[in-house]
Amino acid sequence: MSVLIEATAPPAAEPARRPWRSFLRHRMGVVGAAMLLIALVVAVAAPLLAPYDPYATVRVNILDIYQAPSGAHLLGTDDGGKDVLSSLIYGARVSLIVGFAAAAIALVIGGLVGIVAGYRGGWIGSLLMRITDFFLVIPDLALQIVLVAIIGPSLGTIILVIGALGWTTTARLVRSQTLTVRERKYVMRARAIGAGDAHILRRHIMPAVLPLMLANMVLVISLAILSESTLAFLGLGDPTVISWGQMLNFAFGRGAVSAGAWWALLPPGFAIVWVVLGTTLLGTALEDALNPRLKRHHLEAPGGDVARDREATPLLPPATDAASPILRVSDLTVEFDSPGGPLRAVDHVSFDLRRGETLGLVGESGSGKTTTVLGILRLLPPGGRVVGGSVWFDGEDLLSLDGRALRSFRWTRLSLVFQGAMNAMNPVRTIGDQIAEAIRLHAPETSKQQAAGRAGDLLERVGIGRRRAGEYPHTYSGGMRQRAMIALALACDPDVIVADEPTTALDVMIQAQILDLLGGIARDFGMGIILVTHDLGVVAQVCDRIVVMYGGEVAEENGAAALFASPQHPYTQQLLLSFPDVAHPDRALRGIPGSPPRLDAMPPGCRFAPRCPHAFDRCAVERPPAYATPAGGRAACFLLDPAEEHRP
Amino acid sequence: MSGRGGYLLRKIGWALVTVAVVITFNFVLFRVLPGDPAKSGLRDPRLTPAAVEALRERFGLDKEVFLDLDGGNPLDTQFVAYIGALSRADLGTSYAFRDQAVSDLIGRALVNTLWLVVPSQFLAIALGVGLGLFAAWRRGRAADVAALTFSLFMWSLPTFFLGIILLVAGANWFGLPTAGRITIGAEFESFTDLAWDVGRHLLLPTLTLTLVLLGEYMLIMRSSVLDVFGEDYILTARAKGLSTYRIIRHHALRNAMLPMVTLIALNLGFTVSGAIQVEAVYSWPGLGALTVGAVGDRDYPVLQGAFLLIAVSVVVANLIAELIYGLLDPRVSEG
Amino acid sequence: MMDPLLRVENLVKEFPGRRSFVDWVRRRPARPVRALDGVSFELRAGEVLALVGESGSGKTTTGNLLMGLLPASEGRVVLAGDDVGRLSGRGLQRLRRRTQMIFQDPYESLNPRMTVADIVAEPLRVHRVTASADELRARVERALTSAGLTPVAAYLRRHPFELSGGQRQRVVIAAALALEPSLIVADEPVSMLDVSIRAEILNLLSALARDQGIAVVMITHDLSTVAAYADRIAVMYLGRIVEHGPTRAVLAHPRHPYAQALLSVVPVPDPTTRRRPVILRGETPDPSRIPSGCRFHPRCPVAFDRCPMVDPPLFEVGPDHEAACLLHEAGGSG
Repeated sequence: MSVLIEATAPPAAEPARRPWRSFLRHRMGVVGAAMLLIALVVAVAAPLLAPYDPYATVRVNILDIYQAPSGAHLLGTDDGGKDVLSSLIYGARVSLIVGFAAAAIALVIGGLVGIVAGYRGGWIGSLLMRITDFFLVIPDLALQIVLVAIIGPSLGTIILVIGALGWTTTARLVRSQTLTVRERKYVMRARAIGAGDAHILRRHIMPAVLPLMLANMVLVISLAILSESTLAFLGLGDPTVISWGQMLNFAFGRGAVSAGAWWALLPPGFAIVWVVLGTTLLGTALEDALNPRLKRHHLEAPGGDVARDREATPLLPPATDAASPILRVSDLTVEFDSPGGPLRAVDHVSFDLRRGETLGLVGESGSGKTTTVLGILRLLPPGGRVVGGSVWFDGEDLLSLDGRALRSFRWTRLSLVFQGAMNAMNPVRTIGDQIAEAIRLHAPETSKQQAAGRAGDLLERVGIGRRRAGEYPHTYSGGMRQRAMIALALACDPDVIVADEPTTALDVMIQAQILDLLGGIARDFGMGIILVTHDLGVVAQVCDRIVVMYGGEVAEENGAAALFASPQHPYTQQLLLSFPDVAHPDRALRGIPGSPPRLDAMPPGCRFAPRCPHAFDRCAVERPPAYATPAGGRAACFLLDPAEEHRP
Repeated sequence: MSGRGGYLLRKIGWALVTVAVVITFNFVLFRVLPGDPAKSGLRDPRLTPAAVEALRERFGLDKEVFLDLDGGNPLDTQFVAYIGALSRADLGTSYAFRDQAVSDLIGRALVNTLWLVVPSQFLAIALGVGLGLFAAWRRGRAADVAALTFSLFMWSLPTFFLGIILLVAGANWFGLPTAGRITIGAEFESFTDLAWDVGRHLLLPTLTLTLVLLGEYMLIMRSSVLDVFGEDYILTARAKGLSTYRIIRHHALRNAMLPMVTLIALNLGFTVSGAIQVEAVYSWPGLGALTVGAVGDRDYPVLQGAFLLIAVSVVVANLIAELIYGLLDPRVSEG
Repeated sequence: MMDPLLRVENLVKEFPGRRSFVDWVRRRPARPVRALDGVSFELRAGEVLALVGESGSGKTTTGNLLMGLLPASEGRVVLAGDDVGRLSGRGLQRLRRRTQMIFQDPYESLNPRMTVADIVAEPLRVHRVTASADELRARVERALTSAGLTPVAAYLRRHPFELSGGQRQRVVIAAALALEPSLIVADEPVSMLDVSIRAEILNLLSALARDQGIAVVMITHDLSTVAAYADRIAVMYLGRIVEHGPTRAVLAHPRHPYAQALLSVVPVPDPTTRRRPVILRGETPDPSRIPSGCRFHPRCPVAFDRCPMVDPPLFEVGPDHEAACLLHEAGGSG
């Protein structure tokens, strides 16, 4: 009998991450838009704003040249006796017209080239990219000069030349975005159902590409304006129109410097800066809003990762004899900063690790298991903070260590094995080198040869062989990279290794090899291991004790055999029931209805209550503490409260 | 093919192809486009038809452009003649500077440009790397905001305008010279005196170009370092117990420099554009000034020669950067 | 006995290899990558076949070939009598309507800019199934209901980022159901979901096969769940099916040493289980360097002298149950 569980009610609509909102948050963009708007208004309203008409021919008197600013001429006069302010205002027209027109041309060419190259690929794509690269290499100003010189400096020519040479960055951008979208699974699905190119371009590619093109266009406009003013300054501007570059060309070339006529030099220059700055701010803000690059940042947070006012419990360090736990975590609480206030990812988590024991930390996504170990290891990302609890390692309070003490503690007592992703080790340094680095860091008296020798030993122990120590991570397969991470973790003979999902992305056979290796190492070196995973099969195989986490808390803790034989917390029970067992193929597959709680929407009472088949009224309002269970261990469930009458 | 050898060969191959295209492009540009420069030189109404004909023959304009298929040597064309001349380093004769070889002119100009560009480039890279790293390390704080603001302004400020401002400031406040390479009409007793004079003339142009490039490089380096800070191996390094200084020195720096090499190469056009503008403002007698001057004088052989040299230099510099990258990054293998 | 809906005959897929610089200098040709090296199987309507293997086994390539996303190098895929490789134009379009694919990543499989209604309607629009907006909507709602996304009205206007992983995968399934296909190829549809959510998706697919007679090819590496939904299993290694048969039979009595090893190391959520895991050494070889003879022999714990020399075909080892191992050559052990 199969159990078809319907999806539960859809979650309340999240506020849509519309680009507008993040754009407005970008003050930069608003400022830029305002600057550009002002320039546009000035350009359009030039006849109304300018006190004189700079295009009108005027009889000039030698005394009129380079007059300082005065009532009649607010910005003085130029080399031809004309009013600088009026020329400045009319100059806006040329800059903006050239900017927009040239950018439009560049956009069309670049967009077409980019889409064709990105979508078609093949030899057309390669050829187009070669052409693009060619134009990228040729220095644009030099080519602009040559072309305008040959064809003749008219406004039309200048617009065409700037546009015809300015499409390269747009093309590259559009091509890369088109490629990215083309490789997305939803496009492959569309193709698999028989959608033609027209459909895919219209429905999938263009909506993703157009916004980026728009943002890019604004930046191209700024480049075009710069190009125009540079060409004009160099004498290649259209002599029949007034532009800011042209003004500077005349002023500079006709003695404004020696005449001290700063009013003829500074205003046009600053006008250029104004417009270019405005468009650049606007364009950058648009780009950011449309394509937010959410990058992690792994260096230490400047404010530290332990809150100053942390409530540390217990106050006395635990005993440190051989029989007592080597690691004791008490009421560990970790919060993250978020726009809506701090979010609690780990809430009063406590457990022990005995010497030489393998402990499994089990949970699904959002359970807080990874955050817990990051908190213990003092590796929280910026924005994360331990706000309560204590972590005692062999008598030392890890949370109160800092600076040098913390650094010398790292790796020598407690080390870490991540998922052996491609970049878990530095790709431009050899594996042996990076292992040796850890050795020499903590034992500086070790010579280079000794360290290299020991690194080789470690690589032998994990089954890679010392001959491959001089290779780079990208030459290793996934399984080998994971072994290398283990070798690295062993480098300073730690007492405890924390392995965070060490086999999740690996094939089942490689996973067996790695688990076997870890088990062997634990045995041979008497090492404690904390294995963080979502896989109940894995913990059943290798762990002595298991801690089950849900919603940032410990749901249950017990020895492995006891936990599997007699789970006490309803979540543990449900989880075990939903875990498939290849040895019992006749068991139906079941899941747990609903989904784990979100950090910003934690249930007030027991975290699991909304999904618990045995929940009663107390569960929704009160958080259950950990109770001792008849099977040994503890579980945080009111069903275990001896005083609770409402028991099944 | 794959492998590092393949990478190097491929890059060199493409560079050669690009140079060939540049040469052809250069030829076409100056011969075939409207406003044929040689023809316009011939439009002087004072010349007799016989003189026009003689001039045409002298400049080889009576031949076919690419391929002569009307009998005779099919390769007796303008294009082949051009290639032949190039191989002899003969770039023609200047129209404006009576009978001076273009190659001589641009040769001298190139040396002057190198005196300007090379120190600026090195200074800008050194400072840009340092400041970019610092800004990335202090992301979001005052130093970073200041650095970003500086870069933004440098980007928005036209190079020639910055040059004008510095020129005025330098001349008025420091008495620095405002044009040329050496003081005109001065006598120099020793080499040191000459060097000092040239140095004084070089100071402002170098400062201008360095500032402009610095803004760009700092931005690139900052972005590159921030990318690296988000990589997993930085977390591994921190977990190992490396101090922030050591992490930056042994992990972040090397990895951030790699994309930096590529990006600097991509921005070489920017350097050229900056150099042209700086030379124009300060009348520094380099390739840029020569080019701009040739435009005013309608000196097309010089213009053509200068453009060719500039373009080829950039291709070569680009190739060098790509080769350096290929040698530094152990992951280079695929095409 | 009904004719099989899907018949795959000796499918081979080769990709051109890349030459290293050393090869180029020595004038050696590039070694091609033989992702599939002769795969054959049959599938009936309403049947669920699990294609099981590790990376490099060729299971994903098989899925792509079944969908017609890639052309086969040799061999053929026959769907309801049509040779997929021979189709073009209108025939190909008709084929597209009959086969649908579900991918692994529920976060990548949906265009973040489209609503659920648009996503499910897309196949209907592409094939211009109906001109009537009402009928379109009816079919979309039907598909959403079959996929368990009810009340339908609550989902139509949603965007993918508002849905959980399990719900997204249901949307993908609904989109696959819109055209009422006869064959669905599911490539690791649940591997990116939490374990407690996987059951509902797998049960859904199994129910669809049973109730609507859709044939399902489930590509997976997870042996622990196959029993719940698969009628038959085919175990793949390095581009070949090395064992296939009814699910129960293969799980209870695997005959090929690779299948045996694989089953022995699948983690079981029961610490009291006594097993003797056979942990193979090394990793699956590169598909451009397939070992001679039996492709598994370098890692096989029970290989003997003939194994490097003879490439075994599939031998019968039980009712409808075959394994490609010389140990089972007619008569028994070697």
